[in-house]
Amino acid sequence: MSLPAACNNCSNLFKTLESVLFKRSTALLSVHKCIKHYSSEAEEKSDVIGDESKEAKLPLKVSRESKFPVKHSHTRLAWLESMDTLEGQKLGMVDLHPDVFATYPRIDVLAQNVKWQKLYRHIDYTFEPSRAELRGGGRKPWPQKGMGKARHGSIRSPLWRGGATALGPRGPTNYFYMLPKHYRALGLRVALTCKYAQNDLVIVDSLDIPTSDPEFLTDLADVRFWGYSVLFVDDTDFMPENTALATSQITGFNLMPAYGLNVHSMLKHETLVLTLAALDKIEGKLLEELHSTERNTKFVNTLKPEDFRKEPKKDYTMYKKFTQPLEYNRNFYDQATFYEDSEDQPES
Amino acid sequence: MASKVTERALSLIKSLPRVALTNIKDLPSAKRKKTGKPAGQKKKGRGDKGQGARNTWDPLGYEGGQSPLINNVPLERYYGKYALRRQYPPISLLELQRLIDLNRVDISRPVDVTAICNSRLYSLDVAKNHFGFHLTEEGCDSFDAKINLEVQWTSELVIAAVEKSGGTITTRYYDPQSLGAVFDPQTFFQKGLPIPKCKLPPQDALAYYSDPNARGYLADPEKILEARERLAQKYGYKLPDLSSDPVKDLLLMRKDPLQLFYGLEPGWIVNLRDKCVLKPQDEDYRRYYNTVY
Repeated sequence: MSLPAACNNCSNLFKTLESVLFKRSTALLSVHKCIKHYSSEAEEKSDVIGDESKEAKLPLKVSRESKFPVKHSHTRLAWLESMDTLEGQKLGMVDLHPDVFATYPRIDVLAQNVKWQKLYRHIDYTFEPSRAELRGGGRKPWPQKGMGKARHGSIRSPLWRGGATALGPRGPTNYFYMLPKHYRALGLRVALTCKYAQNDLVIVDSLDIPTSDPEFLTDLADVRFWGYSVLFVDDTDFMPENTALATSQITGFNLMPAYGLNVHSMLKHETLVLTLAALDKIEGKLLEELHSTERNTKFVNTLKPEDFRKEPKKDYTMYKKFTQPLEYNRNFYDQATFYEDSEDQPES
Repeated sequence: MASKVTERALSLIKSLPRVALTNIKDLPSAKRKKTGKPAGQKKKGRGDKGQGARNTWDPLGYEGGQSPLINNVPLERYYGKYALRRQYPPISLLELQRLIDLNRVDISRPVDVTAICNSRLYSLDVAKNHFGFHLTEEGCDSFDAKINLEVQWTSELVIAAVEKSGGTITTRYYDPQSLGAVFDPQTFFQKGLPIPKCKLPPQDALAYYSDPNARGYLADPEKILEARERLAQKYGYKLPDLSSDPVKDLLLMRKDPLQLFYGLEPGWIVNLRDKCVLKPQDEDYRRYYNTVY
């Protein structure tokens, strides 16, 4: 039986193979033309962001192209702010994708995520020795019959004082499990949605502040009603020096790169501050995950029991820092100096 | 507009306290019931003595001694020899049109099992006796795509719908071993096995796959052209002219009865790591893979 002539050039043949046989639908989806969100007017406006016209036409609408435009909902808007001054300036408006910032608020998925984040790294070191591991107890304490006493075989039986615990906790137990990828991504989307809906999401152009004085940052948070705990997220892990110095001295203000963003941290802090670059990165990643058709590969835990036999030493310096009251220490010291002064006065 | 439910939920949480670590909770249905011995309970809610306590209930369908329904009703063997039958999971014309509209299959190339399964929306299982797709009639009125289609089972109406819109259709048999290679080529090539040759259909399917009215792949091509004309007259549509078609080559692309992939012969080995195709030249080897026994 004759077969059709095959391609002699091996590499060409393989290229066609790759495109036809292995092309998964994610790749096909990316072929879709990117459709712009806004009307042509908005585009024209966004084109003229320049140094000269910046002051004249503020605030501006910053239209962003989305790879995955939707018809079922409308884009949400948020202010783009600056952190140069205490009050700040409204630089423009940013459009947020409704699939990320206006999903159905699945509180249960948030709870699942937080529980997973707590448990996957948890190792329970509680251990109770069994009756075999306790000292002694091999001899029958008294004969079976003729003593008028209850029959017993070992002084380490769970019935005895000083005996072993029956079915007690045994050794380091590993609580690791993996939440399905879909639920992890959904958790992030829901957390972002809740932050946006409750007005706790702030988008800034950059995290740069003029001084490294922590007072500036606390005042800024005070003026803008950001609350006592703020999470600053940038797309890189190289943070501006002033911001890094200032936040390191304030309990409750924390810096985080976009790749470290997680549900627990978002819910722990009252306000979430994203830079525009971080927003792009987070939104893009979450949308890509939402639209990908790749199957969830099973996560294989490489941790062996040998790796967590010994309980590691705890770093109590961190515990001390976070167990301090969230109220700024400044107020506490102010009060203390006031009493010192009042004691001094009658003497003088 | 977004769903009203979502909008209402979002407007609700605007007025609620801040969603924080302290006020989130999983659904009550997520809690598992505690199993184990309840403290101070002897009979575990199963009553005192008897069938309930001892788990000796009457067998299912037992009616206390009278002739049970299952014995009275005559047997109808709809599922007789189920394990031996060939199964063709359905895919409708409507679903196929949707795949094309959403760009999940590329119609600039022939559409076969590989193309449909690569959309990641449909899959076949050789272990469940799947022998390919059955293209069903749902959505035949709205089907409008000019494609070269290859499925494993169809009806006359579907053939008419595909040919009316200018495409061509073939019914093709794959034996289980070949189907395993065809529906997920990447996994198959990773095994490093030579591409198998496709076997001929079994006795009971041979008539269907050599029938020009079913556009069988073993039918005489000239008789298929006649059958196309006849079908067009029967359903009353004008058959588009194939000879002057700009994508004539695409529409007339056919695999050899032994061939599984376009451009690849049976017996060849695809090496994914070195990105090359190995073509054994041994005479006996080639004779085995290129002949029907």
